[in-house]
Amino acid sequence: MLPVLRRPVQERELRAILNYMSLENPFQDPLRFERQVPECALAIFGANGDLTKRKLLPALYRLAYERRLSAGFAVLGLSRTAMSDEQFREKMRASVKEFLEDSPFDDDIWTAFAQGLFYMAGDVHEAALYPALDARLKEIEGQRHTGGNVLFYLSTQPSQYIPIAQGLGAANAGKGKGWRRIVVEKPFGHDLTSAQELSAELHKVFSESEVYRIDHYLGKETVQNILAFRFGNGIFEPLWSRNYVNHVQITAAESIGVEGRGAYYQEAGSLRDMIQNHLLQILATVAMEPSATFRPDSVRDERSKLLRSIRIMKPEEVLVDTVSGQYGPASIGGEDVPGFRQELGVNSDAQTDTYAAVTFFVDNWRWAGVPFYLRSGKRLPKRVTEIAIQFNAAPLAIFNGNESNVAPNLLILRIQPEEGISLKFLSKRPGTGMKLRPVSMDFNYGSSFGERSPTAYETLLLDAIIGDATLYTRQDMVEANWAVVDAIQHVWDNTKFDFPNYAAGTWGPKAADDMLARRGHVWRQP
Amino acid sequence: MGGTIAPDRILHEMADLWVSLGKQSEGDAGVLRACSMTLVVAAEESDDVTAIGETLAALMPEHPSRAIVIRFRAEDRRTLTARVFAQCWMPFGHRQQICCEQIEITAADASVPDLAAVVLPLTVPDLPVVLWCRSPRLFHLPAFPQMAAIAQKVVLDSGAFGEPAGILKEMIEALAVGRSIADLSWTRLTRWRELIARIFENRAQLANLPGVSEVRISSCSKSPPVEALYMAAWLMDGLEKIGAHPRLRFNSAAGVASGELNRVDLVARDLASIASIGLVEGHAAEVRVGGWVNRAVLPRPTDYALMREELSIPGRDAVFERTLAAAARLAAGETRP
Repeated sequence: MLPVLRRPVQERELRAILNYMSLENPFQDPLRFERQVPECALAIFGANGDLTKRKLLPALYRLAYERRLSAGFAVLGLSRTAMSDEQFREKMRASVKEFLEDSPFDDDIWTAFAQGLFYMAGDVHEAALYPALDARLKEIEGQRHTGGNVLFYLSTQPSQYIPIAQGLGAANAGKGKGWRRIVVEKPFGHDLTSAQELSAELHKVFSESEVYRIDHYLGKETVQNILAFRFGNGIFEPLWSRNYVNHVQITAAESIGVEGRGAYYQEAGSLRDMIQNHLLQILATVAMEPSATFRPDSVRDERSKLLRSIRIMKPEEVLVDTVSGQYGPASIGGEDVPGFRQELGVNSDAQTDTYAAVTFFVDNWRWAGVPFYLRSGKRLPKRVTEIAIQFNAAPLAIFNGNESNVAPNLLILRIQPEEGISLKFLSKRPGTGMKLRPVSMDFNYGSSFGERSPTAYETLLLDAIIGDATLYTRQDMVEANWAVVDAIQHVWDNTKFDFPNYAAGTWGPKAADDMLARRGHVWRQP
Repeated sequence: MGGTIAPDRILHEMADLWVSLGKQSEGDAGVLRACSMTLVVAAEESDDVTAIGETLAALMPEHPSRAIVIRFRAEDRRTLTARVFAQCWMPFGHRQQICCEQIEITAADASVPDLAAVVLPLTVPDLPVVLWCRSPRLFHLPAFPQMAAIAQKVVLDSGAFGEPAGILKEMIEALAVGRSIADLSWTRLTRWRELIARIFENRAQLANLPGVSEVRISSCSKSPPVEALYMAAWLMDGLEKIGAHPRLRFNSAAGVASGELNRVDLVARDLASIASIGLVEGHAAEVRVGGWVNRAVLPRPTDYALMREELSIPGRDAVFERTLAAAARLAAGETRP
């Protein structure tokens, strides 16, 4: 730590201070070393919750297993439940064992990792919690040499974000000896106004560069691979525009229903829960301009520019270019499946969209006139997330009398499951005559490289600790998303839908097919 | 077993192999062919072929390649034989089998001049070629440069070459003619170096670094082995960058395999330790920094781990090349790198 000088600074001292400020670790070797992770403490609000148990702790353990965390890394869990450090460690051990995916559990590694796990109980609405938290963090800093660096993680109900930010601010816990950052889980507000209010409250304590809004879709290896695919290869860029792309379909389908989250989901809906964040971020990644560098703000500037180029719909456009849906009961594979309104905690007349399909247009030179069809829904036939880019047909069909020769070229970027990239094109069928058939050239991400891919939370947690915000959502991006979605939601909120309008286990309401048919397109069956 | 081999015939056999693999696969999942490079392994016939096969099999999932294993026999009669087979695996949870080709060539020393003409057409077009030379004897065969010329990168292990000065000089000469060289003795130090670098990620520790007045490196050898020379050269180079000009001392230690690094100490002017890393209890490292002691696993890397790292670096490695030059100066008896 620099000494506090209370006298005029001598030239030699000044030089020493300047040297210290600019001194860089001379032993770094980025070609061979893993990214260096600074010491820090991670303070998780909502440490007794599902997200911590299912995602955060397994991801942190896995990072420890891979030796990606610093030796003094510490976790301080906070929640209302009274628990000792030891009980918290035992509970997290059980969670990690249960939810760790495709990795072994090693007792020795866990024992070393668990030494850095601490816990304190408290109510986030109690002002006394925050000075106590600050004191505990200082204690951990002394014990684990965390350098005063703290990453706060809000894994709580969204309604608690503002009280926590205010509490941290009042106790001056947002500033300290080292760096302070805060990770916020979605939803970032429920509309533009509330998102701005949330940002304003966070900014009273943290600067925007210290706020990490997490969208776990952006942490998925295959979403990152879209950037590699687009900007690491030269051959696709010339095709990537209105001149060659006919339209784009982005699908995020889930086969499950609301799974006990009916009360929450009833307030959210598919448009807010999926399209406002995940799918619009994917759209931005697919359609953004290349950034000049791969620095966090360079990439985020381009994403943000793209999001701000999405046309905001007028009410009359909402009626033709969006479809709201809700699943009804059905029998799937011999099992009776309830409709949304029959789910636990859901009102019998709920107007919630469990399915949303939207036609977006990006008003810039590259994409003007190209429809981007986004759809997301629950209780669809299968779990799949993918992007399908359909190219224009060949300008002249010279192989007459052949139905297949109208099959369009498709580039499919599969996000989950079976992550990979497929290119569909026409090939001559073996034999005499010129008969064509579509074939698929596949790149399977998971199996072409046998190495395990990190989970989205491993990637994103490490990024936040390192201070790399490339895959995090910035305030201007969140606001651009809400501006687009609010225009739709406002019309939907003032419309009485005749729900349910699709049966569980189908690909959504017929109106969604009609929406594409008006432009001569059909939904791809993933 | 004929005395010569025709690359065309090997390529034809490989094409047949893919057809038969496709027919053997059940259902319509098929076989996925994966290839990101050609990996040529030059080994002595006496080298453990099973171990080489295991290393290649372990490398394939991350670095799918066409592997060409050449086993050399010290024989005056010109003979070359070859066989072709596939390495396949089924990733967990997937239906599709992934396969890579492997060609095994046995060559008498007398046939080495013929080899480049055989290997060149067998390399996969448009993808990098890496040559892993597992024996000092082969590296010194007169026809070896012809083989090396096919590869974009040559990997060897200078630790196996005995006296370091000669091989370090030869590697510098190879670099000078534009060849990319990698040395597994340097790769073995990555984890050591990473531990050291990690200490100085902490700014308080970093501030102590200009105060280093002595660097001590211990290894189990009377004269410094190549790993110790590399470590010394790398540390001194890093310290030089921040204006420190410490003394360098090599110590001889007992209890570890010959040539293996045992301990690194960075010492301040008042002889207080700034940082030290030492091997304890086999292959764990004890890191001591300012009174704080921490342990990390530091296993002796396997051939697989070393090659995995080297294959991940397709281009030249500036840090290694700078360190190699400095290590060569130390080996030649200069007191400063």
